Amino acid sequence: MIRGDSLSARDRDHFDWPLFIAAVSIAVLGVVNLYSATSVYSGSRAELYISQVYWLFMGGIIGGVLIAIDYRHLERLGYVLYTFGVFSLALVFVLARDVRGSARWIEFGAFRFQPSEFMKVFLVIALAKFLHDDPRNEGRTLRDLAIPATLTAVPALLVLKQPDLGTATILVFVFLTIAAVTRVRWKSAALFVVSILVAVPILWEYVLLDYQRARVLVFLHPEEDLLHRGWHAHHSRVAIGNGGLFGNGYLRGTQNQFLFLPDQFTDFPFPVFAEEWGFVGCVVLVCLYAFLVVWGIRIASMAKDRFGAVLGVGCAAIIFWHAVINLGMTSGALPVVGVTLPLFSYGGSSVTTVMVAIALLMSVSMRRYSGVASLDRL
Amino acid sequence: MRNLDPRRARWIRIRMGLLCGLMALGLGGVVNGAYRIEVEDGDAWYDLAERQRQRRLHITPKRGTIYDRNGAPLAESVEVPSVSVDAVEMLRGVDEQYVPMRIQQYAERIAQALSLPAEDVVEKLSRRRRFAWLKRRVSEQEVERVRALGDRTQRYPVRGLVIEGEGRRFYPNRELAGPLLGFVATDGEGKEGIELSLEHELRGNASEVRGLRDRSGRLIFSEGIEDEQALAGHNVHLTIDKGIQFTAERELEAAMKTYEAIGGSIVVVNPENGEVLAMASSPGFNPNDYSQSDPGSRRNRCVVDRFEPGSTVKMFAIASALAAKSVAPSATIYCEEGNMAIDNVVIHDTHVHKWLTLPQILSQSSNIGTAKIALGLGEQRLYEGLRRFGFGDLTGVPLPGESVGVLRPRGRPWVQVETASAAFGQGISVTTLQLAMAAAAIANRGRLLEPILIKRITDGTGVTLSEPSPRVRRDAVPSSIARMVSEMLVAVTEGDGTGVEAAIPGFRVAGKTGTAQKIDPATGKYTDTHYVASFVGFVPAERPRLAIAVVLDEPLGGTYGGGSVAAPVFRRIGEMALRYLGVTPRGSVPMKLSEVAEQSGEDIAANTYQVLSEARAAAAPISTGVVTPSAPLKTGELRVPDLTGLPQREAVRSAATLGLDPSVEGTGRLTRQEPPPGTVLPKGSPLKLIFEPPT
Repeated sequence: MIRGDSLSARDRDHFDWPLFIAAVSIAVLGVVNLYSATSVYSGSRAELYISQVYWLFMGGIIGGVLIAIDYRHLERLGYVLYTFGVFSLALVFVLARDVRGSARWIEFGAFRFQPSEFMKVFLVIALAKFLHDDPRNEGRTLRDLAIPATLTAVPALLVLKQPDLGTATILVFVFLTIAAVTRVRWKSAALFVVSILVAVPILWEYVLLDYQRARVLVFLHPEEDLLHRGWHAHHSRVAIGNGGLFGNGYLRGTQNQFLFLPDQFTDFPFPVFAEEWGFVGCVVLVCLYAFLVVWGIRIASMAKDRFGAVLGVGCAAIIFWHAVINLGMTSGALPVVGVTLPLFSYGGSSVTTVMVAIALLMSVSMRRYSGVASLDRL
Repeated sequence: MRNLDPRRARWIRIRMGLLCGLMALGLGGVVNGAYRIEVEDGDAWYDLAERQRQRRLHITPKRGTIYDRNGAPLAESVEVPSVSVDAVEMLRGVDEQYVPMRIQQYAERIAQALSLPAEDVVEKLSRRRRFAWLKRRVSEQEVERVRALGDRTQRYPVRGLVIEGEGRRFYPNRELAGPLLGFVATDGEGKEGIELSLEHELRGNASEVRGLRDRSGRLIFSEGIEDEQALAGHNVHLTIDKGIQFTAERELEAAMKTYEAIGGSIVVVNPENGEVLAMASSPGFNPNDYSQSDPGSRRNRCVVDRFEPGSTVKMFAIASALAAKSVAPSATIYCEEGNMAIDNVVIHDTHVHKWLTLPQILSQSSNIGTAKIALGLGEQRLYEGLRRFGFGDLTGVPLPGESVGVLRPRGRPWVQVETASAAFGQGISVTTLQLAMAAAAIANRGRLLEPILIKRITDGTGVTLSEPSPRVRRDAVPSSIARMVSEMLVAVTEGDGTGVEAAIPGFRVAGKTGTAQKIDPATGKYTDTHYVASFVGFVPAERPRLAIAVVLDEPLGGTYGGGSVAAPVFRRIGEMALRYLGVTPRGSVPMKLSEVAEQSGEDIAANTYQVLSEARAAAAPISTGVVTPSAPLKTGELRVPDLTGLPQREAVRSAATLGLDPSVEGTGRLTRQEPPPGTVLPKGSPLKLIFEPPT
């Protein structure tokens, strides 16, 4: 079934250039934008863009290794990786460093990493393995989805308890996206929607923490609390609006240069970009993301096995949800939850995760012609 | 997926396509959102951003300096350091739950550094405003301590502390001319006196400058900021001479003490051009801490207070009568041996006489003689005559609260007895300034001048903006009459005249005493116990250089007559001022002050001068770097100018302009320089400027 470990010459011919170019373009724009975003600082913060380049290389090397070895090895390792991820998440509560009231990082000497970022990929792999191992043809009932749902719920709840509403949301949305492309009975789907509607108020009341609730409230009424909770959303929109149609020009975004933008190199790089490049720049950037996502789905639909297909959809979903939620929250369409913009936000874990996701897409894409299609049903 | 039956393959493609579509829709939503913000509502957001980063700065310009006629500063604005706090900056990044603890910690350290009560600081920090004064006008040590607190190299720096210069009005001569100058309230607004009446000149153009700021409120750069000098308030050069003012105040003070008077005022004018050389009002106050003073002592009695002048008015009544030719210069008047009844009122003379000539009437201060002349002149003509001398009218001096005085108390013509008493200054009221100006009119060949108090107004760069020139209000009397009256008035200070005390050795003094009864407010009748003693005159009589009006309110202690109370004050001031102006009995010869001091010997004026010269030395006149070279300078050399008295900024600028390398020590006013003024130095030499805070 699995033909070989190394990349065959035939596979190399199938290198997915459009995917590569789209990813590189976004990464380049991301570094360029990060340079501008941190140019207002002096000292180590101004050097962040260099670190980002290092992280991109690091992600590239990991991605290269992933491309080189057949993605189907991951199928065997699926649950191992998943367990490792959940274990790391649990470890966070023991070892974590407290940053702004959220414990998300684990330190390894000089390194800090965020297990919740990698968990996204591990979850996708685990879900892909489950669906791969469950080759049924008829539509799935909710009971059939119970195990993948549990697989999702465990890390999602752990992440939520950190607390990190953004990542928990991404995990759930990625699961829902994957569930949506597997065949689900209509009745089950309806039941699911109803249960969501029931679950939301319960979550609101008992699970969400005060500050998370505050963020959603601020989203609903941004004008009421500009100075405190609405600060991010407000300033982000002011900066975007300041860009206008063609923008202020590179390094000329006044709202960024004058430090009005909070967190402009982590969760809010988009306002910096929008302010400098205007609406035109935004359209280009969104088109790049859209291309990446649509191309990812296309790769998934052409994958030669179910594992690859689910992996493709999952990786595309990670990128999609990150982009949509981040862009949505910066432009005021969604509440502010800490979700990074793929390849734009500074952060080793985030960059590496996105690079791994793209590498997996590449791997699935390159191997679509190799070997024998073992599974013909999704 | 290949190798699939086509039905299933299509189904999968549809699902994938659907997913793509949904995702594209999501991203489309983002694009739409961006479109709304950037293009549709772009302008509104842009404005918002504009407002956020633009800050309107209300630049409070430096208030202009008030100088005396020789350039000695009477009131100036000094920058004193003040400490404020940006509590938001201070507490940035502090977790909300630790904020009260931090505030407590910071407050204790700040309170210690600035010697403030810790509770007050806690309260100020707890408000968490972007700006709050912590302490204004702090000392050099406090500045140092605050700097140390904010020092970022130490372990726990306190952020958000701001030290900035704040303008403060400083009156280097303390009480000198206090009621004339007025004061400036803490909000920078001039109250009373010159500070009030010339507020619009001194204040400068408080302009709104738009600047860009970053989030922490720091100014990034400012657009279109005008030259600071252009914004600064205009400097006002008064005609007041600090030396004469000093003497006037000193003598007034002494007389007030000796005669236990409740108030007094002196006006010294130059009769040739109407320039007011001194304007003393007592009791006065120190405008440096005006809040400690009694509001009553802040008013300038010279222009605000009106009083019944008494006999000093006689000279104007007689001048008017001579001008109207209702009496001949050579006339002799029968003075009824001390008592004369008009209607049912009996007028008394203090000295009993039968026949008196006009000079005698003046020198003996005969009420009856004057009354007869006035009755001969007639009610209307006397009224008009006095009006011509400026009574019952504003003098036009640029000072707040000037009184007009009252000639016809109830706005109707005088009855006979009122006409008679008006001529010897009872039943009418005037101000000291009016008296001085009227006397100056007689001294100045009958021409009534407008008093000039402002010599010139200059802008921050020294360019003269306005320079009032002498303005003749009218010819009060023909010049021959004025001359004649002047001669008659000399008799007052000679022989057995009432004003011999005013005589200045070597000069012929023209003047008139006045001892007016005051009306007891309780009974509404004239009292025998409360008087206003005055002396009004000018000197030298033949070519007057000074016209002086001295008025003392309610001198007690047995002596109350103008001749014994006010006349000596006139003499002392006149004596000093004449020497000071270089007027000698032989004419006007410019004389060095040091020589004057040598000659004066045991004379009182010597003492006066002594104090005066000390006063002058204490506040050296401002020099703007112009020095008279006593030895030729080689190229590349320069003489250190005397910069003392200048505010820090100006001193540093002047020194730097000259090519010196100034260094600053301390704050406040420049008191010393090293090397001292006059030293010849090569260009680029260091010059240490030592400032001390005003006391």
